Amino acid sequence: MNQKPAVVLTLLLLASLALLALGVSVGSTGLDWSHDSSEMAHQILWQIRLPRSLGAWLAGALLGLSGAVAQGLFRNPLADPYLLGSSAGAGLGVALSMALIGTSVGANLWLQRLGLTGAAFAGTVGGVLLTLLLARGVEHTLRLLLAGVVVGVVLAAITSLLMLMQPDIMRTMQSFMLGATGFLSWSSVVIMSVALCLSLLVALGASRALDALSLGDATARSLGVRLSLVRVVLIAAFALATGTAVAQAGMIAFVGLVAPHLVRNYCSTTHGKLLLLSSCSGGVLLLGADILARGLLAPQELPVGIITAIIGGSYLLWLMHRATRRRQA
Amino acid sequence: MNGAALSTRLRSVRLQDFEVLHDIELQLQPARWTAIVGPNGAGKSTLLRALAGLIPADGEILLLGKPLHDWAPKQRARTLAWLGQNETGADDLTAHDVVMLGRLPHQAWLAAPSDADAQAVRDAMAQTQSWDWRQRRLSTLSGGERQRVLLARALAVQASVLMMDEPLAHLDPPHQADWIDIVRKLVARGQTVISVLHELNIALQANVLVVMAKGQVLHQGLASDAATHRALQQVFDHRLRIAQLDGQWLALPHTPASSGSMP
Amino acid sequence: MNHLRSSRGHVLPMLVLALISLATPLRAAGVQLHDDLGRITEWSSPPQRIITMLPSLTETVCELGACDKLVGVDRYSNYPEQVKTLPKLGGLDDSNIEAIVALRPDVVLAASSSRIGERLAGLGVKVVTLDTKSHEDVQRVLGKVGVLLGVADAQRVWRHIDAGVGAAAQSLPPEARGVLVYYEVDSAPYAAGESSFMGQTLKRLGARNIIPAAMGPFPKINPEFVVRANPQLIMIGQRHLAALYKRPGWEQIDALRKQHVCIFSPEESDVLTRPGPRMAQGAQIMASCLRTMSAAR
Repeated sequence: MNQKPAVVLTLLLLASLALLALGVSVGSTGLDWSHDSSEMAHQILWQIRLPRSLGAWLAGALLGLSGAVAQGLFRNPLADPYLLGSSAGAGLGVALSMALIGTSVGANLWLQRLGLTGAAFAGTVGGVLLTLLLARGVEHTLRLLLAGVVVGVVLAAITSLLMLMQPDIMRTMQSFMLGATGFLSWSSVVIMSVALCLSLLVALGASRALDALSLGDATARSLGVRLSLVRVVLIAAFALATGTAVAQAGMIAFVGLVAPHLVRNYCSTTHGKLLLLSSCSGGVLLLGADILARGLLAPQELPVGIITAIIGGSYLLWLMHRATRRRQA
Repeated sequence: MNGAALSTRLRSVRLQDFEVLHDIELQLQPARWTAIVGPNGAGKSTLLRALAGLIPADGEILLLGKPLHDWAPKQRARTLAWLGQNETGADDLTAHDVVMLGRLPHQAWLAAPSDADAQAVRDAMAQTQSWDWRQRRLSTLSGGERQRVLLARALAVQASVLMMDEPLAHLDPPHQADWIDIVRKLVARGQTVISVLHELNIALQANVLVVMAKGQVLHQGLASDAATHRALQQVFDHRLRIAQLDGQWLALPHTPASSGSMP
Repeated sequence: MNHLRSSRGHVLPMLVLALISLATPLRAAGVQLHDDLGRITEWSSPPQRIITMLPSLTETVCELGACDKLVGVDRYSNYPEQVKTLPKLGGLDDSNIEAIVALRPDVVLAASSSRIGERLAGLGVKVVTLDTKSHEDVQRVLGKVGVLLGVADAQRVWRHIDAGVGAAAQSLPPEARGVLVYYEVDSAPYAAGESSFMGQTLKRLGARNIIPAAMGPFPKINPEFVVRANPQLIMIGQRHLAALYKRPGWEQIDALRKQHVCIFSPEESDVLTRPGPRMAQGAQIMASCLRTMSAAR
């Protein structure tokens, strides 16, 4: 199936608007189209449901962009936003900040200012920096990937140790790991919008280089691409996007992995448009999942990460099934 | 130095602590087709990559008289085009998009493709007869079709020096003939083509042969020269003979039984 | 004749003795217990070396006066003081099997979520599984542990505890009753519903819970639900306070506008969340919170 990118973009934007309308109608009372004009309902809509829906879309867009960048940079269709130690770093940041609360007045003050979101973001960036350090630069992608695996494993082990020593943070950690869109506020929306614009601009700037990279390092270099510079810039955009999304909405599985595949399945295009389309499809995915998470068992909530795993996993299975059938045909 | 398209004095080129090339001195003339030949492991690809500036080399390489590393990356990319072996990836792009990538050195950052770009792509794809399926994704093409698209990508750069490493992979004889045609036309227009080929019969059609063995250049000379033929036979342990058929030089495997009736 | 009379005279007392010895089961000598998984375990005499793998079970054993018989506890048991010096044997999922066996316990008390039961049974250690999740569980477990320890009247201990809870409830002035409460267990947010242990205590104190029993003991809820329900009082553990005020829409909640938030210290949280003998103390902590907040209204 090969649609024009403009068509796909329009479809995604329309879907986003439709889901947004749905998002403000689904809440603790389930699906409820009649918006009564009481003060409470008004406040719930504007202060809770709207920022939460927008926030879910933005977090999904950040993850979709990050996944597309990772897949282009490493030329691996299984790359996702949680490479290069970013997820393990975020987890450790959150665990550390929770474990240290209450240990000393100084720590408390600092941690209040930083907040859980700040800790998660710092952890993500820290994890990526550690990976870059371990890989001694961005020269070799294989070394980067391996270093990312090592950093991921080590930091995850430290996090597990922390959870053992302070068992009451375990439940919070678990909900962080499964995604937490429940408290997205207008300030989250602003932060994520800024981050999305920045990382999108940077990634778009390097999109031609990503295209050249898809032909191999040697050819890209022969086409005048400054490989090391491009890699550093793209990893920075990647860390910014992943860090912001994880800090605001926890670690949501599959969105970053599936969004670019969704786009590539319906239209083949160069990276410039692919990055933009992946963001939009990531946004649609996560907003849809968040609506399901709120609506299925209202007023209880399912962790949104479980919904994205089910949707994302099923979609990938379906893709694989179609690919094998096409090959057999 | 003296109007050479590419000249080099390499002391050593190492790959992962193993010295692949040593003490190479070469001058490649412009508007010529030079073929680099030699047995497996002679270092042909490594030499080509070093000349293109794609791997670090201990020595000096001059492109059009200026040291390679003094060239701005984009300038250099406009002047020197590269087609490598086994280029994978880009499976999702259409053939047209892949060839358009060759125009990268000519495009301003993030600018849309210009008319000149579109024309260059069209020309390149017409030359390789791949224009008709320009909207098909690379993953749906056969090996030969894919190779022609990648060749078009290198041609689209319209660089004055074109380097190709085993460009005939997957190409059947008619398309090999097409390729020779393309190269000859480029040379006639004043461009320089340097190729690594293991198909000796094709290589013998070139203007100049660079004969390599064990990391060094044994001989550089015209492809029709007897001295060049002797050098070829030497590096291949005299297991081949050079013979002429209808004005074309051929390299034939030599076994005791095949000391046949050809002059 | 003399011969017969003397033998009949011996038989009757012996018969009575035999009947008495049959009627008195292995009480003084042996112990038999049905645990919560339906397993029956027997001891020839009350166990002298006891290991507990759950804080509430530790506290129950100590409350019944057998604290000296404890030879090891899990890593989270921290009450009473004297168990702090006992060897720590891990948690529910990562219990130190080797250390447990090395202590040669006569019985190991564990929860059903622990996986050590079968392993230890295979190694010849006697394991009793007891689940304590609700007020009713506390009474039942007190009874069973009482049987295990050969304690005469475990129910007296229970009545004492129950009276303590009742006293806490009685101590509340009328305006402190019927308060609408939201008890947050974790910041996802997970709430304590009516059917949870803390929820039951709240109910006995006459408070109303925004989470009905139908939603289960610890549901993960939509934060919007709390805003809608508009509780008058929020109870929360100290660790989880952080961004309560910054949550979108929450500044409208009565409890936050009037700053009716009870923050429990880790020690208080321990008492409140463990279904064990300290539940009267837990009820008092909650009652004190309710009293203070209603006075401040």
